[in-house]
Amino acid sequence: MRPCGTIRILLAGATTCIALVALSMGAVELSLMEILWGGESGLEGVILFEIRAPRVLLAGFSGAVLAVAGAALQGLFRNPLAEPGLIGVSSGAALGAISMIVLGPSIALSATFATYALPVSAMIGACLVTIFLYAFSVRFGHFGMVTILLVGIAINALAAVGIGIFQYVSDDGALRSLTFWMMGSFGRATWDTLLPAAALMVAGVLPIFSLMRGLDLLQLGEAEAFHLGLDVGRLKRRVIFCSAAAVGASVAISGIVGFVGLVVPHLVRLVLGASHAHVLPASAMLGASLTILADLLARTLFAPAEIPVSLVTSAVGAPFFLWLIARGRPN
Amino acid sequence: MAKRFLALVGLLAASFSAAEDLCEARPDASRIAVAGGSITEILYFLGAEAQIVGVDTTSTFPSAAREFPSIGYVRNLSAEGLLSISPKLVLGEEDMGPPNVVAQIAKTGMPIISIPEVRSAIGILDKVRCVAAILGLSQRADALIAEQLISLVDELATPRLHAQPSPRIALLLDTNGGSLVAAGQDTAGNGIIEMAGARNMFSNFSGWKPVSVEAILNGAPEFVVVSTMSSRGDASTPPHLRASPLGDRLIAMDAMVLLGFGPRTLGAALQLARTFRGLEVQNAANRE
Repeated sequence: MRPCGTIRILLAGATTCIALVALSMGAVELSLMEILWGGESGLEGVILFEIRAPRVLLAGFSGAVLAVAGAALQGLFRNPLAEPGLIGVSSGAALGAISMIVLGPSIALSATFATYALPVSAMIGACLVTIFLYAFSVRFGHFGMVTILLVGIAINALAAVGIGIFQYVSDDGALRSLTFWMMGSFGRATWDTLLPAAALMVAGVLPIFSLMRGLDLLQLGEAEAFHLGLDVGRLKRRVIFCSAAAVGASVAISGIVGFVGLVVPHLVRLVLGASHAHVLPASAMLGASLTILADLLARTLFAPAEIPVSLVTSAVGAPFFLWLIARGRPN
Repeated sequence: MAKRFLALVGLLAASFSAAEDLCEARPDASRIAVAGGSITEILYFLGAEAQIVGVDTTSTFPSAAREFPSIGYVRNLSAEGLLSISPKLVLGEEDMGPPNVVAQIAKTGMPIISIPEVRSAIGILDKVRCVAAILGLSQRADALIAEQLISLVDELATPRLHAQPSPRIALLLDTNGGSLVAAGQDTAGNGIIEMAGARNMFSNFSGWKPVSVEAILNGAPEFVVVSTMSSRGDASTPPHLRASPLGDRLIAMDAMVLLGFGPRTLGAALQLARTFRGLEVQNAANRE
């Protein structure tokens, strides 16, 4: 237990440090100390508080949510390849978002609602997809793991068709907005959109932490866990709906950020072992810090221009995943 | 009826005054960040390039403009990146974005203006005048327009220039060997076809859409205009069209000249009109 506690403290420290570094670095050079202590309220203050702070927070929340949801789903499916995208949440959210990008201009929206239109419709997309996944798997597959995975794959394919149709009917401008939305960015964070999204993410992720023991039992096998007194169906429902809500809120505001949900839990298990009591909190912190770091790279590498954050996470995450596979199987 | 007419006039007046507000002199235009190739082109046209401090990735003309720090793609700007080059003014195309980033920039008190675009010859002059007004260079702009652009606009307006009946044209994007993408209604491609006095063959859909070679051949356009990137010239026209009966009716033109709707687009429209009329040898078109 003790090394785990140390590691947790180290991780919390590292996350804080990275967040502070991310706050103080960017295309505009500014001194964090001067602004915080000197009460600077000029352009630098605006950049720090209105542009950089919501962005770093969003990156942190999203990273934590994606990693925890990934860890919980990997535990639930007892499959190291599970991640939020697998059960169709991300593509459902993407479908909701693109329908708003394409159809939005033709629906007259009041200015206040227009700010929320995109995240809200992405959220609705994620929820509808999850409800469908649940209903279909219960009706035709007794909510078994394999059925859920297969239905998830089918849902992803269906959502891709929907996205393709919208891409086909959309005009040039909408198409390009969509392309960049799909590649993910935390640059769209403002306090107005961050706060409701963050509230949803927290509300979705917190219940998952109370399911740690159930997830541990489930590793013995579904039948064994059942005989040990675990309500397996309830656990599945909770994990799926909570991850969907949290990931939906994240995708809704920042687009699709790849590989965090897949790689971070593996990284944590490598060091701390498979117990969810260790994996979940550590995944949250590691996910937050790595995502903040990826966003920092995305916005500073080619400053004053910036690259989509998913390019950074995937470029690092995919080779790392290959390394994990190679490492696990010599020859 | 009269009431409705009055309301319409009122509405028009209101929209005009809104445009006027947009295109009025700004107190400090000494450091300008530009998001949009045609705006950069206009700043050079006005001789105001010394005021530029950064441009987006579509600002490729004149080639000297590529030397400025890049603020990224016009529709994918970065709020902080843009502010880091400390402009006093941001000028952009109508489609600059994403909207939240534009809103973030505006929130810092930075004047950020998207120049209205109407895809016609007069629209181009208005764009030049609008940018000039913002910079306080209206007089210089009027002189330059009178000297260099008015003759082009006038010539474009002469009926004698245009082939009768107006030819059917298809305008395609150079997709580098991928599927063919044609300009429908409400596109810059449609705008230039109409400026050149021709009819868009694909007026039955709006936006840019993929089309098949068969659909193009079946529609029997008199010419096919291909918007190309860089200077790959005729090599960038789609190979299956080059081999088709339309092969000698392909016109390749630089994308920013053709679709940017900066000052150069007037010359491009004129050249197309002459080609359609048979007054000019085809394919002399691809030039910077």
